[in-house]
Amino acid sequence: MRVIGSVLRRLLHTVVTLFLVLTGMWCLFRLVPGDPLVIFLGQGELGPVELARLRADWGLDQPLLTQYASYLKNFATGNLGTSFVFRQPVSEILVTPLLNTLLLMTPALVLSIGLGVMLGSHLGWRRGRAFERWGNALVLIPRTLPLFWLGIIVLVVFAYGLEWFPIGGMRTPAFIPETWWQRLPGFDIAHHLVLPVAVAVLHLVSDPLLIMRTSMIEVINEDYVTFAHARGLSDATVRRIARRNALMPVVTYSAVMVGFAFGGQVLLEVVFAWPGVGRLMVDSVIQRDYPVAQAAFFLMASVIILLNLLVDFAYLALDPRVKLD
Amino acid sequence: MTSATHLMMAPRGSRWRAASNLLLDTWEGRIGCLLFGFFVFIAVAGPLLVGSEPMRVHYLADGKVARLLTPVEFGPLGTDYYGRDVAAQLVIGARTALIVSLLSTLIMALVGTNIGLVAGYFGGRIDALLMRFTDLAYSVPFLPFAVILVALLRPSLWNIVLTISVLMWRTTARVIRSQVISVRQQTFVKAARVAGASHARIIYHHIFPNVLPLALLYLAFGISYSVLSEASLAFLGFGDPERMSWGQMLYFAYTSASIRTAWWWTVPPGACITLFVLSVFLIGRQFERYASPKLV
Repeated sequence: MRVIGSVLRRLLHTVVTLFLVLTGMWCLFRLVPGDPLVIFLGQGELGPVELARLRADWGLDQPLLTQYASYLKNFATGNLGTSFVFRQPVSEILVTPLLNTLLLMTPALVLSIGLGVMLGSHLGWRRGRAFERWGNALVLIPRTLPLFWLGIIVLVVFAYGLEWFPIGGMRTPAFIPETWWQRLPGFDIAHHLVLPVAVAVLHLVSDPLLIMRTSMIEVINEDYVTFAHARGLSDATVRRIARRNALMPVVTYSAVMVGFAFGGQVLLEVVFAWPGVGRLMVDSVIQRDYPVAQAAFFLMASVIILLNLLVDFAYLALDPRVKLD
Repeated sequence: MTSATHLMMAPRGSRWRAASNLLLDTWEGRIGCLLFGFFVFIAVAGPLLVGSEPMRVHYLADGKVARLLTPVEFGPLGTDYYGRDVAAQLVIGARTALIVSLLSTLIMALVGTNIGLVAGYFGGRIDALLMRFTDLAYSVPFLPFAVILVALLRPSLWNIVLTISVLMWRTTARVIRSQVISVRQQTFVKAARVAGASHARIIYHHIFPNVLPLALLYLAFGISYSVLSEASLAFLGFGDPERMSWGQMLYFAYTSASIRTAWWWTVPPGACITLFVLSVFLIGRQFERYASPKLV
């Protein structure tokens, strides 16, 4: 019963958070100084009669509260408006870019967390040896490199210089496979994925790695680890026990990390011309296509909120001592 | 008592010595301070050394724009695609980086530390409310939010500072709060309360010195994070158009399709961002030794 109650409470929090993000976004777009119609259409494009008609069409002559209510209703029913630039419903425009972003970020995040846990537990286990000191120093490097600069360097070296990988995008137009491995399904997309994913992993791996190291250091000083050694268990076994117990902070952090990564991928998508939702958002902001920008932003925020929920549930499943409050 | 508490309690004369010990007693700290000092020097004196006109277009003898001249042909670092002096841009970039990062970190530290102190100290409803607010800030993707806010407000140095600090306080608030909760339980806080000290006095005089190393650590993280954020925003084309920054240099290099050839234009700004972040990070690690001595 207790569990069901806390799960429900957590779900309620999620709904409230989504609602608050929507409200904040509405206020934010109201911040734009000036008449939205003039901003969207440009000064002097239309006469006063047409402007008045459009204003009534878009509901901009209604009181603010009514506008807010219809905005919430539209978002709740999946009606995200019409793009000013593409003249298409926003919901249709967003589907493919969102999938592209997930295609890029899923392997990047899984690899970063996986590698981070492995390397971090290794570093923590070997605390105090030269290996650890060098490892710590090496981890510093990707932490300080700006993501987009790293992307540019990788692009210049591996795409322009060595020509091992394509210089960007997701597919080669009219791709003709020449060898048997190029005929494998998905080869072209995978080939395009290598560089952006590699850059993302380099950039993201250090946080889970350092947290895992810290957590591992704390765990190996616990009595049960000493006791496990004393019982004569092999090093590998003790290490496995310690690693399992040290995993919790990484699980917690992964939610935060996914949140940070889901903003930062915008840079990756821009550098590697990956047609994802972040690049779409930046382009629409530049073109003042606010319905698309707004919806793309909300989509990214929703991904973060939902993943946070998921991590909370994972926590509940992994550690019976935790009660969601 | 931690060493940082000693630092606060020490008589005035020896505070400086204690502070310089804290920063300079390891190689990492010394390298960090040296690098940071170097950037401060460049930001202050750089424009005097290599020229202060990052936006001026240079021309060749035949009247053509002096596009993409190599460092051998022009000045210490060559010119960019638009005929502008790369070295002059780089030193102005140091100034922008320092201003943006110091200002936004200051705001972030003030807001975040105070929210953390108040939430952790009072607990209960105030804590729940403030932490819900912090959770909300965590569910907003930073860079997309910053892009939208800067674009709506018009890109200017102040708007960029504001945008970065609007979300960045969240981490500090969370970390400080959890530390305050554990400090609050200790005897000296109870003693102060019994002695009749006001809430404000307990928070700022008794609890704050104990979370100071942690606050300083997150201050250092904040500086590096805000430099990277400013650079990212500028790289996406949302930098202050009237103020050159390292990120903006890379934006121009990328959008003019010069990254392939003009290494003298793309390598220096990226290297500067990296070294700046590294310097702050190394300084931060000095505070980390006092915030959580077990780990370093």
